[in-house]
Amino acid sequence: MEKNNERRIEIAHGSGGKKSVELIGEIRKILREGSSWKNTDDDGAVFEWKGKKLVFTTDAFIVDPIFFPGGDIGKLATCGTINDLAMMGAQPLGLSLSLVIEEGFSWQNLRKIIRSINQISQKEKVPIVTGDTKVTEKGKLDKIEITTAGVGIAQFVLSNEGAQAGDLVITSGDLGKHGAALLAKRFGSVNEIKSDCQPLNRPIKKVAPFLTSAKDPTRGGLAAVLNEVAEKSKVKIVLDEDKIPFQKEVSALASLLGIDKLALPSEGRFVATVSARQAKKVVNCLKKFNRQAGVIGRVEKGKGVYLKTKVGTLRKVETPEGKLIPRIC
Amino acid sequence: MKFSFSKILKEIEKKASLINRPLTFMELCGTHSQTIAAFGLKKILPKNLSLIAGPGCPVCVTSQRDVESVAGLALAGIPIATYGDTLKIFDTSVLLKKNRGSQIDISVVYDITEALRLKSQKPNLVFWGIGFETTAPMSAWAIKKGLTVYSTHKKFFPAMKTLLQNRELKIDGFINPGHVSAITGTKIYENLKFPQVVAGFEPEDVLQAISWLLDQIISKKPRVQNEYKRVVKREGNKRAQKIIQEVFEVKDSFWRGLGKIKKSGLVIRKKYRAQDAEYVYSQLLRKIRKKIILPPSACQCGKILQGIYRPQECPLFAKICQPENPQGPCMVSVEGACHIEYKYGEK
Repeated sequence: MEKNNERRIEIAHGSGGKKSVELIGEIRKILREGSSWKNTDDDGAVFEWKGKKLVFTTDAFIVDPIFFPGGDIGKLATCGTINDLAMMGAQPLGLSLSLVIEEGFSWQNLRKIIRSINQISQKEKVPIVTGDTKVTEKGKLDKIEITTAGVGIAQFVLSNEGAQAGDLVITSGDLGKHGAALLAKRFGSVNEIKSDCQPLNRPIKKVAPFLTSAKDPTRGGLAAVLNEVAEKSKVKIVLDEDKIPFQKEVSALASLLGIDKLALPSEGRFVATVSARQAKKVVNCLKKFNRQAGVIGRVEKGKGVYLKTKVGTLRKVETPEGKLIPRIC
Repeated sequence: MKFSFSKILKEIEKKASLINRPLTFMELCGTHSQTIAAFGLKKILPKNLSLIAGPGCPVCVTSQRDVESVAGLALAGIPIATYGDTLKIFDTSVLLKKNRGSQIDISVVYDITEALRLKSQKPNLVFWGIGFETTAPMSAWAIKKGLTVYSTHKKFFPAMKTLLQNRELKIDGFINPGHVSAITGTKIYENLKFPQVVAGFEPEDVLQAISWLLDQIISKKPRVQNEYKRVVKREGNKRAQKIIQEVFEVKDSFWRGLGKIKKSGLVIRKKYRAQDAEYVYSQLLRKIRKKIILPPSACQCGKILQGIYRPQECPLFAKICQPENPQGPCMVSVEGACHIEYKYGEK
């Protein structure tokens, strides 16, 4: 990360928090809008076509390290776009794959990455249908950057605007493992944490009709995602600290580094809201995919996201401001 | 046995009512302040008991002279590496503001080995070593491996003594830092004759420490108790102490808010001066420091660090001073009292 004196793009502009909103805002100011595509500020845009809803999304991936416990940049890029479609209620039809590779990158690593892309693509029956490659001079890029785009078809589009007072908040599994695995690897910490990176199209397909909102807690973690849901649905969300599932090692690492685990990203989980009446059915169904699935909070009238702590107090959960910063004290 | 919050809170309530006068405990680690704020502990403590944050945030206590010195090195084209929490302090640098637009190279590292790796790409890299006994051993280790360091490392205990000498400040007990104590041990606190409990960072730890401090006050037996036994030993971490002593010598140091504190600075020994940025760039630093003229600011970090003011008592707090636009280090650091109050406090 380099810092400079003029107003420039900062690393925090890419961290999914308030500054990312500012960055996207700046870009959209210049881009002229107005088309038949509907963009709900979710991860994709929707095009109504012959009575069907076509969903289109794209995502660029850089990650350090490119190989991490539980996955690699290829798996991440494939799951990421499949999940963006799945979170909008769409069944993915196909993906595009663009690679920008730094000169000197090893063939062996490239093959490894492509094999993991292929594995997910085969398993989920989401073909890679088009693509592009570029090679940059050494030093112009850190190893490899992958961009995937995807098209899917939805019966109805899931959004973040539908949460209602009285709904329950559920998670599809334990949270934060992707962020924790990457942090651990950067610190050279030896532990059992593996990234939770995985496709979500199957579990969400089973429960989508019952959900009032759904979102995968990637950048900015649970804290960022639920603030977005609360804001767009104009509701208040109260989480129960005791009920949010975290692997013990994830909690320990977060506490060691002084990082808020609510801000740790997951790459294979979603959080959703569902009416209290349907919650049990939905959770039971999700438990077949991940035993840690469960209710973690409730939706109330009002605004903002709050956490009922284990002490019994209520604290406000803010959208993370930028990069997760370990303590030095 | 599962820890019962309601039980300990009742105990605290009872003990505080027995003492029946206003009591103030100071938590000495930025991470304690985070726990207290994140779990809203101030809201559930008895009315006559208040907690105030002490100078336990390394970025906050670093003097502006040091901030400007490192900024000056960066402006002279020297690549700098430091910890993430330190990065935003450059937003407060007068020298950088004056030289807006100049190319500078400041990298963030997560741990010291990353700085060593960066040095192989940028041979004249300077690492800004910041922090108390917790991070000093890592810097010492890296200095021995050939990393050039600008040291603003500090010993924490001298600051505690200084706080107790301040008559403006009325503190009834200290919650001693957990991580620092893991290195220094608890023995060094013993001759202070003041109620102290070394505590960990879970809300359970902090509440237990408060309960024990109340016991000490009731029994009129001030002493050092260790609540964080799972990490902290009386003798501390001997290996870490040894490497600190081997690489650093103890000199006076200037702390923001607390002024000059005798024998509190960790300065790189002559033996390692080829790795000491203060020595390697002595002429350049002299020139830089001549240029430092700090404009007056209404920022009350100094008073806040001593526990004399609370963040809300600063005229800038939450107005022009916010995490996105910090006016002083207490808002810059994630461990700073103002940053924590802004993030978790009632607005």
